[in-house]
Amino acid sequence: MKTQITDLFGMDVYTDKAVRVGNVDDAVLNVDTKKVDFLAVGNLNPDLFQLKGFKGIRIPFRIIKSVGDVIIIRHFNSMFPSQGIED
Amino acid sequence: MKNVFSRNLSKKQVMSTDGMVIGTIRNIMIDLDTGNVESLVVRPEQGFDTGGYKVDGERLFIPFEAVRDIKDYIVVDRYLSKE
Repeated sequence: MKTQITDLFGMDVYTDKAVRVGNVDDAVLNVDTKKVDFLAVGNLNPDLFQLKGFKGIRIPFRIIKSVGDVIIIRHFNSMFPSQGIED
Repeated sequence: MKNVFSRNLSKKQVMSTDGMVIGTIRNIMIDLDTGNVESLVVRPEQGFDTGGYKVDGERLFIPFEAVRDIKDYIVVDRYLSKE
């Protein structure tokens, strides 16, 4: 599906275990490979990350599962250690 | 390996390799399935001859393959940027 890159900005990012990560601030493009390498995500869920001196994270494009009204990424237990929802 | 933030590109001018300013970048089209950057959406300069380019109303599309480098300007190949 083709889309304008500005349509992604402000979209909510959730993991596939329905945990909110944050909002898309920006996209990081690789000029050489002509691909989107990362999405820069800000306005982070404070339960997930200890925000000490940084405002956002970069999410690799390859862990994105789907994009619709929101963006769904793969859920890594190691990435979100403070969440107690895992079984 | 060169990475750029897409917001850094906004308002940048697009220049052809023959030294002509084509216009100002408006947006970028990406393919969400593959992650490929497909094309640049450019608003042409006043009086720019858009002949040979892919145009939709006020918008001019330049395939991202044509992009040579991005610094102060976005430099695109004069032949690859046309259809």
